[in-house]
Amino acid sequence: MPTVSMKVNGKDAKADVDPRTLLVQFLRENLRLTGTHVGCDTSQCGACVVHVNGKAVKSCTMLALTADGAEILTIEGLANGAQLHPMQEAFRENHALQCGFCTPGMIMTAVDIVHRKGNNLEEHTIREELEGNICRCTGYHNIVKAIGAGARAMSGEVTKQAAE
Amino acid sequence: MAMTMSGEVQLNAPREEVYKKLNDPEVLKACIPGCEQLDKLSDTEFQATSTMKVGPVKARWKGKVTLSDLDPPNGYKISGEGEGGVAGFAKGGAAVALSEKDGGTLLSYNVEAQIGGKLAQLGQRLIAGAAKKMADDFFDKFAKSVNPAA
Amino acid sequence: MSATGIGAAVRRKEDLRFITGKGQYTDDVSRPGQAHIYFVRSPHAHARIKRIDTKTAAGMPGVVGIVTGAEFAESKLGNLICGWTVLSKDGSPMKMAPHPALAVGKACHVGDPVAVVVADTLAQAKDAAEKINVDYEILPAVVDPTKAAGKGAPLIHDAAPNNTIYNWHIGDHDATAAAFRGAKHVTKLEFVNNRLVPNAMEPRAALAEYDAGTQHLTLWNATQNPHVARLVISAFVGIAPENKLRVIAPDVGGGFGSKIFIYPEEVVCLWAARQFNRPVKWTAERSESFISDAHGRDHVTTAELALDADHKITGLKVKTVANLGAYMSTFSSAVPTFLYATLLSGQYAIPHIYAEVDAVYTNTVPVDAYRGAGRPEATFVVERLVEAAARELDLDPADLRKKNFVKTFPYQTAVASLYDAGDYNASLQKALQIHDYKGFGKRKRESEKNGKIRGIGFATYIEACGVAPSSLVGQLGAGVGLWESAEVRVNPTGSVELLTGCHAHGQGHETTFAQLVAERLGIGIDQVNVVHGDTDKVQFGMGTYGSRSGAVGMSAIVKALDKVEAKAKKIAAHLLEAAEGDIVFKDGKFTVAGTDRSVAWGELALAAYVAHKFPTGEIEPGLKETAFYDPTNFTFPAGCHICEVEIDPETGVTSVVGWTAVDDFGTVINPMIVEGQVHGGVAQGVGQALLEHTVYNDSGQLVSGSYMDYAMPRADNLPSLKVDMTVTKCPSNPLGIKGCGEAGAIAAPAAVMNAITNALGTEKIDMPATPAAVWSTIQQLNKTRLAAE
Repeated sequence: MPTVSMKVNGKDAKADVDPRTLLVQFLRENLRLTGTHVGCDTSQCGACVVHVNGKAVKSCTMLALTADGAEILTIEGLANGAQLHPMQEAFRENHALQCGFCTPGMIMTAVDIVHRKGNNLEEHTIREELEGNICRCTGYHNIVKAIGAGARAMSGEVTKQAAE
Repeated sequence: MAMTMSGEVQLNAPREEVYKKLNDPEVLKACIPGCEQLDKLSDTEFQATSTMKVGPVKARWKGKVTLSDLDPPNGYKISGEGEGGVAGFAKGGAAVALSEKDGGTLLSYNVEAQIGGKLAQLGQRLIAGAAKKMADDFFDKFAKSVNPAA
Repeated sequence: MSATGIGAAVRRKEDLRFITGKGQYTDDVSRPGQAHIYFVRSPHAHARIKRIDTKTAAGMPGVVGIVTGAEFAESKLGNLICGWTVLSKDGSPMKMAPHPALAVGKACHVGDPVAVVVADTLAQAKDAAEKINVDYEILPAVVDPTKAAGKGAPLIHDAAPNNTIYNWHIGDHDATAAAFRGAKHVTKLEFVNNRLVPNAMEPRAALAEYDAGTQHLTLWNATQNPHVARLVISAFVGIAPENKLRVIAPDVGGGFGSKIFIYPEEVVCLWAARQFNRPVKWTAERSESFISDAHGRDHVTTAELALDADHKITGLKVKTVANLGAYMSTFSSAVPTFLYATLLSGQYAIPHIYAEVDAVYTNTVPVDAYRGAGRPEATFVVERLVEAAARELDLDPADLRKKNFVKTFPYQTAVASLYDAGDYNASLQKALQIHDYKGFGKRKRESEKNGKIRGIGFATYIEACGVAPSSLVGQLGAGVGLWESAEVRVNPTGSVELLTGCHAHGQGHETTFAQLVAERLGIGIDQVNVVHGDTDKVQFGMGTYGSRSGAVGMSAIVKALDKVEAKAKKIAAHLLEAAEGDIVFKDGKFTVAGTDRSVAWGELALAAYVAHKFPTGEIEPGLKETAFYDPTNFTFPAGCHICEVEIDPETGVTSVVGWTAVDDFGTVINPMIVEGQVHGGVAQGVGQALLEHTVYNDSGQLVSGSYMDYAMPRADNLPSLKVDMTVTKCPSNPLGIKGCGEAGAIAAPAAVMNAITNALGTEKIDMPATPAAVWSTIQQLNKTRLAAE
């Protein structure tokens, strides 16, 4: 079996894998990072979104071997220790989750939207950008609200970091 | 709910020769898309192994190819059916008619295809395209085997 | 109201683990040495299983064992059951056919499991499954419920001649017929209530482990009601005695009804864990969910509404064919009967109602309760009829509704339900105002200028929640009572474990239940830990469905808290050397009335466990109480939803451009969570009306079996929603709660379709009103118009 190695949430990870192992399986089964979820088998639902080299990727569409050498960020690595990421905080503050299953993918996608589209997001932009993430519980109303608020809070984050 | 489609291809050979080739296992094996193996069971029955892909589902099929409604040299019906394990099943066939035209033969076909199980669940939307491609591939290759220069 | 008490929008306690990826869903749990199971499913809708060749597969790497349906049957386990007996008109019981966990002899729907492979890894199990050859003899299939009982339809089960499960009815046939004879106006409509796939985002999963030393089985299962699962698996299937089986429902990623039922997969996992003496895990792939999770709805209905000259509704006649699929799922029989026809009076005083329901088997996935379960179907019938009647009579649909609302309570309907409290006019009035109903004409003209067609539609719905009074459901054929249990365990330091028989899978019980306990005991919500979903920890409970956790589950908590308070007062009286009757409990303090002598909650809790100098004959040490609460009536949440749509006639695309919901859920514990429930329900209802369609082709293949073809509502299919409330308290439970979980899904389909038919000017369009359906309807109308000119 081939060996794959990558940096996941800042830590080196290395394992021998069956070549057909998907990135999401590698994260969940080899590394026991079960925050990344599998909600479908056709790459539609977005529950498995992680960041690969800084970009949002559905980890069910990628083989673990394809991610060899990459830097991966999962939901488990988003907070800064005990301090939540502003997007996580915004999801909690705006009741943007119910069962919580789609939430990790939603948050990882949301952070990526902000990286690409900036901190002032219009409602229709957020709704269009969420095309690849399905939630069955919330009707998206509060998710849209949370992402708008999280995006604004992230600009504060940037300023704070710059100041430090 | 079966998918149906039709097409035709002009061949530069007499009907008798075309008909003979339509019954030749070697020709059939070369023309059936994805066909890995075709073992003759009788003059009209073959055991086949082939690989088929519809949309996201790809499977190796074991099944039977049957020739029926034999009417030399006017045409026949070629049908196949197979179980692709957990991928489901596929059935299909083509009624082939040969007529004389422009000193050669006009081959017209009516294809019918039906799929089931996971293949239908994930691939129903794509079956029309997949079946058309398979039929086109088959008759393209067949035309080449009749008119090697073409 | 305190910052965390009843009525406060407290942020959820459970969120921290979900937003940091630390939730524990069934598939996140792994046991040492676990094997994986893969189900071989029928690709045919109806087929005789002639032979299953497992020889090659058995020799594949990693294979632990392979079991066919016939081999599984040798274990002599019981079948899966439907737990609610419905009687036909002639008094005969419903015709329930055997439902073995693995098909024996014949497969009855695409997805029916026929064999399983257990292997070291999932990939190995799948590889081996590929090598299993099943020899099927394909049989003709029937998928259309209106054809299932007809001549020439293939018989699916010997136990059910004509594929008919029951012919049920309710109401007074003759009186209703007389009402129609005397009617001034009759509105008649035909509807298809489209079949839906629930699609909780977490696929169903089961992990079973056997301890050979204690002969104890443990099942981690994505279920909404772990105790009921244990009871059925133990008492009916016979896997293990109840005391040797532990069912744990860890975090569950949504249910919407689909995780109430007892399915073959968990039964087979338990059996395999013991058979092979290894933990065995199964997690559905989404394409498996589509063909194995119970579907919802699937009614074909003809309905007529009679009105008198004064526009008073005088009668309602309904005839429904309900498709229950290939087997009867756990509660399937009750959905199109007691949960449907008993709500056909809607919010209206309708003196005479008669409804007939024929339930049939077809070669499709079993159908059971899905968010709303019968009530969205009933609301759709009533609300579409009322709206259409208003149009036919050239009345404002709001006015026709107001005229016919039930205005005095209690109100006994013609279909058994006894409405206890409500103010339907209040919610309608408030909705009209919030929505700016008066401004609709102007908005419509604006849309016209842009080449769009605007429409508006109402749904003034009623539902019955708080399932359910045990004696009543017992009379109706339910196999269980539907009370709820609670246990309040006070720790010596004053913190509390609250154990509930309800199960949260998105509803936020860890927060709302804590709010209730914290307010009552005068402690912080962080001092209350809500424990649920484990049969070894929590006493028997009925689980969560039917919007029952507030109305029934919290009532049980109140009852347990009453007992805790009573005992605490006894202890306080002893500590303060006062009479028990003089002790007042307020703000976390027990005080002797009229004095400043008091003992704080924490001190009292400690004293209860230290128990020094207790007169133990009178006061037992400890502070822990249990209660079982059995409701005396259903609760009747109601409200008004207004939907406004804009249709692009060029493309047929319908955009929902405005939504106002004013609901009466009685007492609200946490408005933030309640509003969230409304949002989610509305989204599912809009999904049903505009997007979601479960399509079987004639040969019984499910052709909308993935997210590529089954159109789940996405963020850009929905608008932001205006959600508000009116409150009339439920008189039958201590908190006055009615329930809020299903309202959105109940109201929304009717509201959307009323808006679309209003825009199009025809009643003839079925759900889902996809762009193709709307476009074709517009073309048809144009053709008819041209022909008429």
